[in-house]
Amino acid sequence: MQDELFSPTIREQPAPGKPPWRPESILYPAFFGGPLAAAALGVLNGGRLALPSRHLAAIGAAGLVGFGARLTVAAAVDGNAPVRFGAMIAGILVSLVVLAFQRKPFRSYTYRGGEPASLVGPGIAAAIGFGVLEAILILVLVR
Amino acid sequence: MTAPSPALARAEALLLASRPQEALAELATLPPAEAVGAAATQLRCAALGQMERWQEVVEAASAGLAASGPDPDLLRHLGRAEHRLGRSQVAERALLDGLALAPQDVELLCTYADVCAANGQTDKAAKLVERAAALRPEAPIVYATRIQVAYASGDDKGAQRMSREFVAAHPEHPAAHALLGGTSAIRGQVDTAYEGYRQAAATMPTEQAFAESALELRIARHPLMLPLRPTLRFGALKTWAVAAAMIFGLRAIGQPVLSAIVGLLWLVFCVYSWVVPPLLRRWMRRNWR
Repeated sequence: MQDELFSPTIREQPAPGKPPWRPESILYPAFFGGPLAAAALGVLNGGRLALPSRHLAAIGAAGLVGFGARLTVAAAVDGNAPVRFGAMIAGILVSLVVLAFQRKPFRSYTYRGGEPASLVGPGIAAAIGFGVLEAILILVLVR
Repeated sequence: MTAPSPALARAEALLLASRPQEALAELATLPPAEAVGAAATQLRCAALGQMERWQEVVEAASAGLAASGPDPDLLRHLGRAEHRLGRSQVAERALLDGLALAPQDVELLCTYADVCAANGQTDKAAKLVERAAALRPEAPIVYATRIQVAYASGDDKGAQRMSREFVAAHPEHPAAHALLGGTSAIRGQVDTAYEGYRQAAATMPTEQAFAESALELRIARHPLMLPLRPTLRFGALKTWAVAAAMIFGLRAIGQPVLSAIVGLLWLVFCVYSWVVPPLLRRWMRRNWR
C-alpha cells in the first residue's frame, strides 16, 4: 500500500548563511526611516530567510509604491507635516507587507533552534540612511 | 541465548532518571557480544541523544543497523540525530525506512512530524501527528509534538491550550510544564510562564534549560518590568499602533499640547524599554550566583 504521507517531501535546506533579523523588529526602522528603509531591510532579511525571489520582488515593489505615495503627497500639498507623517504611515504599511511574507519562514527558523541576529545597528543605519535619501529625493524631484 | 545482563536493566533505569553519563558507563561494562546487540545499541543511542551528542548517535545507530539489520527504533534514533545535525533529507530517508517497517509506530510518526515542521511543512506535520494521536491519544510524545507543530504553524493560542491539556493529563511530566511555560511566554503571560518553568525545573533539576528559562522569567516578573507588560502581552505592533493613534488623534482634534505630552511620555517609555531590561538582567544575574 502506497501511503501519501510516507513519501519523501523534504529538500535539503541551503547551508545556513547569516542569521535573519526578527521580522517584527523591522517595524522600528520603518516607523522612523520610511518605506524604503522597511523595504531594504525586508529584502535583505528575505534573502537570509531564503524566500523565493518573487516574494523579494513583492517587498521591493511595496517599498517603491510606498515611496511613490509619499512623493505624490509631497507634490499635492504644501507644508511638511503630511510628508513626515506619510513616511511613518507608508513605512509601517511596508513593514506589514514584510511581516506577511516572513512571519512563517521565521517561525520555522526559530523552530529549528535558530537565533535571530540583532537589528539595532543595521536598523539605525537604514532608518537614518534611507530617511535622508527619501528627504533628498523629495526635495529634488517635487519641491 | 542467555538472559539479558543486569547491566542493561541498570542502564535503562539510569536513563529514565536522566542520568545518561552513568548509563553509558554501565553499558561499557557489558561483555562484547551483548554490547553490540540491538537492546544495548538502543540504550546507547538514547543516552547519547539525551546529552545531544548527535554525531555519536549517528555512528552508534549506523553500527547497530549494520550489525543487526533494519530496526524501527534505531532508524528513529538515526533520523532524529541526522535532523539535529542539519541533514533533514537524510533524516527523512531513515524515518521513512522505519515507517515502512512499522507504520503504526507513534514515536516514529511524531519524530517525522517534527522534521516536517522544522522544514516548514506544517500541514503534513499536522496530519502525521493526528495519525499518531488516533493510535495513542494520551501519549506524552503525542501531546508534545502536537504543541510543537501548532507553534511551528504560528498557532500560539492553540499551542498554549494544548499545553494546558498536556499538564492536566500528565501533571508529573516535566516537559508538559516546560511547554506550558514556553507557550505562555510567547503570549506574554509571564506569571503562567514562570510557574510552568519553575515546575519543570523542580521536577527535573538536571535540565539546565528549564532553570535558565525560569530565571529569565523571574527577571520578566520584576516590578521594574511592569511597564513593559503591555508590549509583551499584545506585541510591539499593537502597542505602537495605539500610541501613534493617540498622538496623531489628539493633534487632529486640536489638542497639540496633550499630543506633545503623550508623545514625550511615549519617547520616555521607548528609552526605558531599551535601557532597563539589559541592566536589570545583568544585575539579577550577578545576584543569582
